[in-house]
Parts: sequence; structure tokens; C-alpha cells
Amino acid sequence: MVLNWYDVRVLYRRELRSALRDRTIVTNSVLLPIFLYPVLIWLVYSGVIFISGQDEELKSRIMLKDIPEAHIRLKQAFEKDKSIVLSSSPNPAEDVRLGLLDALVEFLPSKSAVGIDGNFKIRVTFDESRDRSDRARSRIGQKISSYRDDFLEQRSVESGISREQFQNFWIDDQNVSSNGQVSAFMIVLPIFFIIMLAVGAMHPAIDSTAGERENSTWETMMSAATSRTSILFAKYLYVATMSFIAAFLNLFAMMASMGTVLAPFLQRGRGSSSLRIPLASAPLILIGAALLALFISAGMMILASFARNYKEGQSMVGPFYIALILPILFLQTPAFEFTPRIALIPVANVMMMIREGIQGVYHWRSIAVTLAVECVSIIVALRIAVRVIQHEDFVIGTYNGSFGKFAKERLLGK
Amino acid sequence: MNAPVVVRELAKTFYDEGRGEIKAVDSISFECHEGEIFGLLGANGAGKTTTLRMLSTILAPTSGTATVMGHDVVHDPEGVRKNLGFYSATTALYPRLTTRETIEFFARINQYPSNRVPQRVEYLIHRFGLEKYADARIEKLSSGMKQKVSVARTVAHDPAILIFDEPTVGLDVLNALDVQETIGELRAEGKTIIFSTHIMSEAERLCDRIAIIHGGQILATDTLAGLREITGQHYLEDIFVLFVKAGQETI
Repeated sequence: MVLNWYDVRVLYRRELRSALRDRTIVTNSVLLPIFLYPVLIWLVYSGVIFISGQDEELKSRIMLKDIPEAHIRLKQAFEKDKSIVLSSSPNPAEDVRLGLLDALVEFLPSKSAVGIDGNFKIRVTFDESRDRSDRARSRIGQKISSYRDDFLEQRSVESGISREQFQNFWIDDQNVSSNGQVSAFMIVLPIFFIIMLAVGAMHPAIDSTAGERENSTWETMMSAATSRTSILFAKYLYVATMSFIAAFLNLFAMMASMGTVLAPFLQRGRGSSSLRIPLASAPLILIGAALLALFISAGMMILASFARNYKEGQSMVGPFYIALILPILFLQTPAFEFTPRIALIPVANVMMMIREGIQGVYHWRSIAVTLAVECVSIIVALRIAVRVIQHEDFVIGTYNGSFGKFAKERLLGK
Repeated sequence: MNAPVVVRELAKTFYDEGRGEIKAVDSISFECHEGEIFGLLGANGAGKTTTLRMLSTILAPTSGTATVMGHDVVHDPEGVRKNLGFYSATTALYPRLTTRETIEFFARINQYPSNRVPQRVEYLIHRFGLEKYADARIEKLSSGMKQKVSVARTVAHDPAILIFDEPTVGLDVLNALDVQETIGELRAEGKTIIFSTHIMSEAERLCDRIAIIHGGQILATDTLAGLREITGQHYLEDIFVLFVKAGQETI
């Protein structure tokens, strides 16, 4: 089990050179990360913008009933809104039910014990089962909420007291997030990052193992004057490199596309949102990506090396790919925090670490646990690989079965 | 001086789920002399490939010993492989490398002195008439050209011992003759060659000595003339059948 660095370099260069001339690998590890996901995101975002634009163009037919003179400004606000058409009807409630009217706004006398001049109560009649009516309800809510805030502010000034004294219980929004936090894309980035690490590793892992068996180059390689450890290590480095490259190409492509294509959309929605990853997070993201690339590559190579051809390799690696993606999808919900317990879950822990890194948040204890867990996972995977290549029938390709069967029979001795 | 290849009581047993233990090679012994073509003649499944795989250290023997240029196949496999070029119908080339890259890669990985690799590559390209295809990818070459590149990669590191395991399987007559001619030339250059085949005419034409192998055992080893004398038969085919039948009775 001797590792010869000269041989590793020669083998690594051979693997890389072959890979960069393979259409499938170049497509999946280079072109897909650069173009596919940025384009997909752009398409989805354009779709969302288009749909919301359609929604904005939809006019809500609303009837205001018994609006007091004191609140004529509210009526004017409704009239000014181009998405609202004020209507009148002798039987408005029935018209709402029939879909002839979207919502009815009725002003009712206030029964508040505290006598504030002009205090009001409103009843909105709408049909939740109809999107159009539901949308009208939402627009009414926004209008009235805004009007009520102005109204209360005005009353507090007239009473000579502050808003806090006037209205004891209220919500005062204060956004403390950094610019990086505001974009939903920055939250989604780690998921794409990990998917790309897996996609980038998958084809090189299959090509360098099952692909070699299928092309009958495996035996050629095994008869070369170098140790099997060097062969395995060079292949492993190559797969991890492709995985790492794919993830970073994707990251840069996403950043670039978000910065140019999506920025106008995002600014339209949010006002301002930064699309940059904090520089201080870069080392953490790099380390996380490198560890994950090494882990994913080891896992995929072990599984793919039991296949006798490319197709078999794909079916053997497929479940591992899904097993990588599923936990990160579940843990992506904002409810999950990056705790040391979450940091015990391989892959998902790196995703959480990168997610927080992008936001400029560092939970050092969880980060330490994550790095330790990933290192242990890599060591375990490599130890399994070393044990596997000690079996002759595996090396010459006569072993007939999957890694699961092999592990059961040979590694666990059942 | 010891023979370049010495095989003593070499055996290999496989375990098959359905068939149990299978003795693929059963205690065989032979020596190859310097500069000769030593033929392993046997039917499919006789144990030729398993023997050669043990000699090239792809498989470990169950028992017995074998040395290649003094290096033990079990204790010094890399030393063995450094002195050995292994070619078989099942050893293919990397399709996405060019001819030049292929030869260079195999020269380097088989420990040919790195400062002399470029000259060696150019020499082999010229030696095998590959100039026109030197920068073409292997996947674009005809099967005849691939065959030439395969031989070139086998000798890329200039090994003293060459193993050709059924090298003409799947080749048309002209390409097969081309390979045979090349093997003859390599012998003329002083290489020691172990040549396995089940084609009698090839063995007759090329081999200095022939070992008839059947059921994992070597039944006879001699020159063609020697085998003729022992059996009283002229054609190698008849000699082979005679030994196999006698061997089957013994086995």
C-alpha cells in the first residue's frame, strides 16, 4: 500500500485529460453548473414576475358602503388605486356570492369603550373560494391597515401624546439583517451548491470505475507498474476535483447571473438586495466544499466501482445521490437552526454551515463539530475503499454484486 | 544465471457460489529462457489467462512461486510489473487519449526514466508506423491501428519480458498476421515472450517452446520438434489432442 506521488500525478493528469474530452462529463461537471441552474432560476423568477404582473393587472370590484364623512380620505385612497374599481349594487352581499362583485366593505358604528373621535369598525364580505375575491380582500386589508396607521398617528398627535402612549400594544418592525440576508436566492444557494457537488462527482466517479471496466481499460491499469493505492488515490483526487470545480462554477455562475439578470427583478421586489457573499465566509465555504467533495467522491466511487458498466454504475450511485439531497431539502426550512446536534448529520451540516456563512453568521461550536464529522466520514469512506480493493475478485471485476452485498458478506462477515 | 521467468508449483483456486472450489491452475512449473517465445497452448478455460494474470501480479497465487527477472510476484509485484509488458485481448486503451499521449502515459506509469520518455515515445511512434496517427484520439483509429498502439503501449517502458495473452482474438487475418510479425520482431530484439493461444498455427509459427496446458495442468513442454518426436505426430493439432486425451484420463 505504497503511495507514489509521481505516479499519482501522472495518473491524475491522465484522468483529467480524458474527462475534459468526454461530452457527458464536460456537460455535467462544467456546462450544467454554469448554465442550467442560473437559466432555470431565471426562468422560474421570470415566470413568478409574469404571474404577479398578471395578478397586478387584475382589477378588484369593490363596493364601499356607509363610509362616514370623517373617513372620506380612505375612499379617495380606494379611488386612486388603479387595481380597484369601486362599484355599487342594491344587493351587494348576494352579488359577492354570485361573483358579480369581489368584495363589500361596510363601515359599522364603533362599540369601543374608549371614545376616540372617528373610531371605526369595518366588515369585509368576500368569497374565499374565489381567487379574485380573495385577492380583493387582501387589497382591502392593505389599504385599511395603511389608513388606520395614519389615522392613529394623527389622533396621537392631536391628543398631545406619543404613539407609544396612545397605542400601548403595537408591532414595530425593525430589519436587522445584513444585505446578504434579504435575498431568498442566498438561502437557496447552498442547496444548489451541494447538488452541484454531487452532480459534478457522479459522472467522473462512474467513468473512472465502472467506465474503465466497460472499456476494458481496468485490467490494463491493474497491470501497470504502480501500486493500487496510487491508482485509487489519483482517481479519488480527480473525482473530488471535478466535484469541487462543478460546485464553484455553479456558485460563480449563480452569483453572476443573479447580479446581472436577476438584480433588476430583485430590486423591484425588495428595494435593495446585495448578491454578494461576504468575503470573510469564503474560507469556510471553501473548506466545507472541499470536505464535502472528498466525502461525496469517496461514497460515489465505492458504489460505482461495483458496477460492470456505466448504466449499472448510474443505478448504483443514484440512491446515494438521493440520500444526499433529501436531508438538505428537509433541513432547508428556516425553522432548523445550525445547532451542534444538526452538525452531526453529514452533508446537511455543511449545507447549514455554508448557509450561515453566506449570511455572515458563524456558530463556531457547530462549525467545529461539522468539520470533525466530515473528516471522520471521509476517513471511514476511505477505509472502506481500502478494504474493498484488497479483495481480488473485486479488483479483476469478477465479483458479482453490489456494495451492499459485498459489505454484508465481506466487511461485516455475515 | 536464472531464467527470466521461473514458475514453480504455481496454483490458483477460485471459489464460486454455485460450483464451489475451482482449481483454475493446478501446480504448474516452467521456465522461460532469455530471448525465446514460450507458448502456452490450451483450449478455452485451460488456465492460460489465470497463469498469465498471476505472472503479471493481477491475481495472487493460492500457492507456489513465480519470479520475473528475479522479482517475486507476491512479494515484489511492482518490481515484476516494471519488467513486464502485459497485453491481452481484454486490455484496451483509453479512447479519449491520443496515440502519443497513450504511449507517454504508459511509459511514465511503468517507471521508464522520465527524462527519456519523449525520445522513447517518438521512437515507438516511428517503430510502429504511427506517425500519421500520433495526434489522433484512439477512439478514431481503426482496429488495426489500435492493435499497433496497444503493442506500442505494452513495450513503452522497454520491459525485458512480454506477455501476450491471446493477442489475435477478434482480429481479422491481416491484422492477426501483423501482430504475429511484430511479436517475431520483438523476439529478434531480445525480448523474452510468453505467448498464450488456442490457435495451433500461431503456436507452430511463433513459439520456440510450447507448453500444452489443460485443466489447469501443464501436460507437456518442449520444442515443436521435441513434441513431434515424443508423440510421433507431425501436426501440432494432433499432438495437442493426443496430450489432452491422455491428460484427461490422468486428471
